[in-house]
Amino acid sequence: MRILAAVDQHPYSDRVIKDVAKLARNTWADVTLLGVGPKAMEIGKSSNCAGIKHPLAEKLRNYRRNFLDHFEKEDSPYEKQLCNYEFVEVKRGMWEELYVCRGARKDLKIVLRSGNPVKEILAQSQENDSDLIAMGCNKEGDCQWEGAINLPQKVANNATCSVLVVKEEKQIRKIVCCLDQERISQKSIEMINQMVTLYQTELDIVGLMDGPTLKPMVEKNLDAILKYYKARKIKAWIKLVEAASLEPFISQEARRSMMALWMGEHSLLSKMFTRGKVDKLIQRSKSSVLLLR
Amino acid sequence: MIRTLVYLDADLASSIALRYACQLTHIINMKLHTVHVEEPDHDGHVPGTGWVRRTWENTMLQTGEFEIAQLIKAEKSSCPRLDAPKMLFGDRENEVLREIQRESYDLFVEGSLHSFAAKKLFDKINSRLYRHIPCPVIIVKNLVDIEKVALIVRSEIESKKLISMFLKIFKGVKLKLDLVYCEFQEPEQLSSGAKKEINGTLSAVEEILVENQLPPENCLTIQGSPEEIGDALRDYGLLAFPLHHTISKKSDWFQLLGHIPSPILICWQ
Repeated sequence: MRILAAVDQHPYSDRVIKDVAKLARNTWADVTLLGVGPKAMEIGKSSNCAGIKHPLAEKLRNYRRNFLDHFEKEDSPYEKQLCNYEFVEVKRGMWEELYVCRGARKDLKIVLRSGNPVKEILAQSQENDSDLIAMGCNKEGDCQWEGAINLPQKVANNATCSVLVVKEEKQIRKIVCCLDQERISQKSIEMINQMVTLYQTELDIVGLMDGPTLKPMVEKNLDAILKYYKARKIKAWIKLVEAASLEPFISQEARRSMMALWMGEHSLLSKMFTRGKVDKLIQRSKSSVLLLR
Repeated sequence: MIRTLVYLDADLASSIALRYACQLTHIINMKLHTVHVEEPDHDGHVPGTGWVRRTWENTMLQTGEFEIAQLIKAEKSSCPRLDAPKMLFGDRENEVLREIQRESYDLFVEGSLHSFAAKKLFDKINSRLYRHIPCPVIIVKNLVDIEKVALIVRSEIESKKLISMFLKIFKGVKLKLDLVYCEFQEPEQLSSGAKKEINGTLSAVEEILVENQLPPENCLTIQGSPEEIGDALRDYGLLAFPLHHTISKKSDWFQLLGHIPSPILICWQ
């Protein structure tokens, strides 16, 4: 799994680091902590090679420390291994004894980019081939990044991978998971599994009804999903929602629960739940929001 | 021994209901009987008369029987005492009601998945079957473990009837039982505490249960909106609920019933 945590210097990013670290501990993910600075960013090259003069540089180092604090040093997949002299084949038939520091089992990259934050976050997620972009937002009710209008919403709507928008200081009581049960992917089921473990919560699986009853295929898949989670000792509940009631249902549940919506390219939800509605959901939801792709 | 009738269709709700009923047999001395009703077309049209009609009905029943047999086969490992289902043909409600009256079952179990829209549940409660059913009903909305059971207390008089029905099924069973008194309030004010409610109903009900060797572990008063209380009760594997057939769709009690995601044992008043 590859996680991209998009952060800035504001307190909501602390919570993201905490959640991403817990998620990485469970999944041994390759993690990139991405700081996006203002457009006119100046990175001064001082004589000290570590001396990048940028407000985010020091913050990113702190985030790295905070992230690694969630791991025991000896068990951490991000801990660098011992350095040693080793013969390395530099050309065919030619070896050189080099001082080799073997990398960690998993990558923890710290990246600083300048430019339009939305574009930079999306570009980094493409370059990393990320499975998940995690980001925070302020708690004033409209879920914003300082200095960037509707950034979480824009990233959520335009990313090709899953996006987790972490809201501050809200205890998640349950995850309400709207999957398109006709085209459910193993990856999204596992992502939900990780979220349930991360937040130590219960799970509501929503069965979307296009008519008065569930389609046989949807029923079959719901049963399979239920069995999957039961086997993993995850307390999962089924709730049926008619397509026409989806919007009021989501707005009601978003007050108390973390919403997880499968918005894949061919998903029924992405057709019913337009960009504007996703924006509203992210803005108004009191808990974190996960968009699965 | 409690004789329980489980209604089965070839769907997820029935599969969940059957699994739940099988769990019940592990804690209660209970014998499960299953039934399926094959209904004619939605418009009630039945082709022909005499042998034509009988042949058509038999063919319909055979198709249904195969699907139900598959469902039962899947649960056989966890519920070995399951017999072949009784297959009936006709109007579902009439046939099930007749079967319950004929065989004098003690309990009826059926699946109905938890739904955001309360209409389906309301229609069920107001159906002919439920208006005339002579025994308590368990509606299985979700498959949960029966670790804790709650008795929902409304008034002392109602509770006496509730307890007598509850004891008929659960007497002698070791249960983690809570007594819950609900006070409806505006949203965002959910609170739960061990305090007794003002009119002393909880204490009176507790006394009856103690006399019957089924002392509750906790006596709780939960305050909140029906939606919040429903959510707060989701930890229970079964909720015994006293219910009148005249319940209004807009009443807080019905709203609560609709929001509870766990299986509900309805004891008719």
